[in-house]
Amino acid sequence: MTFTVHDLISLSPVLLIGVGILATLIIEMLVKESEKILGWFTFVLLLSVAYLSLILLDHTALVFEDKFLTGGRVNIFFFLFSFGAAVVSLLSMEYIKKAGIHFGEYYIMLLSSVLGMMLISGATDFIMIFIGLEQMSVCFYVLAGFNRRNERSLEAALKYFLLGSFATGFLVFGLGLIYGAVGSLSITEIVIGYETLKTSPLFLTGTLLFIIGFSFKIAAVPFHMWVPDVYQGAPTSVTALMSTTGKAAAFSALIIIFSPIIQAAYPSFFTPVISVLAVLSMLYGSIVAISQNDLKRMLAYSSIAHAGYMLIGLAAWNEKGVSGVIFYLVAYTFMNLAAFGLISLIEKRDLRGTEFSDYKGLGFKQPVLAGLMALTMFALSGIPPFAGFFGKYYVFLSAIEAGMTWLAIVGVISSVISVYFYLRLIVVMYFDNSDEIVMVTPSTSAMLGIMISVLLIIIMGVAPGSIINLINSTF
Amino acid sequence: MLVEYIPLFLVIAFAIVFAFGTVFSSKIFGPQRPNPEKLSTYESGVQPVGTTHERMSVKYYLVAMLFIIFDLEVIFVYPWAVQFKKLYLDPSVGTTAFYAMLIFLVVFEIGYLYVYKKGGFKWD
Amino acid sequence: MNLYDIIFYLFAIITIVSATFVVFTKNIVYAAYNLLLTLFGIAGLYVLLGADFIGIVQLIIYVGGILILILFGVMLTNKITDVPIKSGVLQVIPASIGVGMLAGILILIVTNISWRNMELTVPESTIGSLGMLLMNEYILIFELLGMLLLIALIGAANIARK
Repeated sequence: MTFTVHDLISLSPVLLIGVGILATLIIEMLVKESEKILGWFTFVLLLSVAYLSLILLDHTALVFEDKFLTGGRVNIFFFLFSFGAAVVSLLSMEYIKKAGIHFGEYYIMLLSSVLGMMLISGATDFIMIFIGLEQMSVCFYVLAGFNRRNERSLEAALKYFLLGSFATGFLVFGLGLIYGAVGSLSITEIVIGYETLKTSPLFLTGTLLFIIGFSFKIAAVPFHMWVPDVYQGAPTSVTALMSTTGKAAAFSALIIIFSPIIQAAYPSFFTPVISVLAVLSMLYGSIVAISQNDLKRMLAYSSIAHAGYMLIGLAAWNEKGVSGVIFYLVAYTFMNLAAFGLISLIEKRDLRGTEFSDYKGLGFKQPVLAGLMALTMFALSGIPPFAGFFGKYYVFLSAIEAGMTWLAIVGVISSVISVYFYLRLIVVMYFDNSDEIVMVTPSTSAMLGIMISVLLIIIMGVAPGSIINLINSTF
Repeated sequence: MLVEYIPLFLVIAFAIVFAFGTVFSSKIFGPQRPNPEKLSTYESGVQPVGTTHERMSVKYYLVAMLFIIFDLEVIFVYPWAVQFKKLYLDPSVGTTAFYAMLIFLVVFEIGYLYVYKKGGFKWD
Repeated sequence: MNLYDIIFYLFAIITIVSATFVVFTKNIVYAAYNLLLTLFGIAGLYVLLGADFIGIVQLIIYVGGILILILFGVMLTNKITDVPIKSGVLQVIPASIGVGMLAGILILIVTNISWRNMELTVPESTIGSLGMLLMNEYILIFELLGMLLLIALIGAANIARK
């Protein structure tokens, strides 16, 4: 075991968040009414982790006997997770008070789930992926059911837990088969032995089961059944976390497993599998979202569709595809954070008020909130010049470059369908009228979180080139 | 061959056969002449009311949950404890093994203190 | 058919028969007790494979811990013991397609692979080498497991809070 200062520095984002979790626990134990300070403490901690991961972007290191990789692409994911979670902590502060779940444990779980995501994205060993995934999922199960007095929240937690464990079963079974074929769970070993492994049925089935396990986590059709109920039932701030950074973490695992496999041979055995998942997710998500009357449910189906668009980048698998997926993930994260943040503001005390009809006339009574919501919806539907457009653009371009034009065409068709339900909200907000709207005075912290997200959406839409260059430079 | 384990398996097999044998042989060989008086729970006592499936307090759940987690933690200590001397003498590990376990346990004890502080061990 | 084979089939039969009961019985308490037998049978199979430590862990954690928790769960829930559970079949066609595909793939794998045959030897107790691995190669994972258990502890305490 050799361990140098260089290793320690490159691991510092993970170490900082680990120490931070223990610190929050101790604060929670010792300080009365700790929940009042823990929100800001979490925010500052996550921001510093995000900052650390950005300045350590070039600090590549393979630490702990080749178990963990840091630097480069991994640090971009670190940044995405910690910054996204920082925004979520801003959105949560007032919301969890309103929902009656104002406990310090909320922030402990939030931080721990970020640790789990970081472990997934930096793993170079399947056991590491598994442990990171478990850490993340356990936190999400608890967070989804955090509102114990609310039946829908409990239903969400139970459904998420049962189906999530089922998915983990697939994953572990797959890992068992991969271990049987390779004799090791290290990804480097797989790269070395790939020429013989690619015809091994044991290895192929193992990887297939692995993909199925992660398809549950990224909510790709036909493994999406849990998504609408869980996204609807969980507290809105938790949904914001699950649907953005949680999905990004699962995608980072898919990128890890695919990068060695597909570098060795393209097109691989898995290209058709991923393409089918992508097509099904895009079309199903977009079409079913049309008939939804609950905004959270609509966004759940839209998140299924977005998973489909991102899968296109994985199916195409070239440099453009991967950097496109990462760009898309960043854009999607902040679009969804803004959308869920706004929903959590408008939601009523009894956690109702997420139906389309509750948004009638919002454009006249809450012009600022409605304007931000309209902007977010434009971005989500992929209308330029916002981040969503360039995410789709890069991903579709990579598919055309890889000779899979049909995939890009399906993507465009489904995007056109999806414009309908995003714009429907805008129509409801500006062209319907109702006297029922209760005035909300948004808190500073939540507004700060929403403004950060919206600002990022605009920046990524105005100057996508610099961000995609940054992502490309990490290959 | 796992010859060493065969006595163990034989003991298990014997235990199973003996347990089932004693329970069911009385049913097979004994005379069965039931009547309502005999079948009642207390032959000369009060009539029982309700079912035997009483609902238990939810407090047991937390205790059982904590038990499993501590159980799991101890499992990780066994291999370390068995190998500790060898690990200590190994130049590439040395005292690292000690500190690694120390961190593991300290992390866990913080959780223990947390549950204690939150009243998880209080019985009302 | 030597003694080893006989013991293997004994445990395999215990596992499969009790697992079938778990799935098909209408009484949830019987299902829980049959699960005990299933887990016990698997522990026996682990020992036969030379994984003695895992076998014992299986007994301590699953038979001694998780199963007790399941029984607690049954007893904590009011009147659940008398309710016949619905083990009817829903969505026969998609289910049989899924299960059939999975089973087909697994059968294909099992029959098509040139399995490496190992010499039947009594392995040394695996606990020593596990300790070595845990403190060398997997030391980071070991510490992270501590973290995972901590989070599970807090989550459990949080779910059961007043």
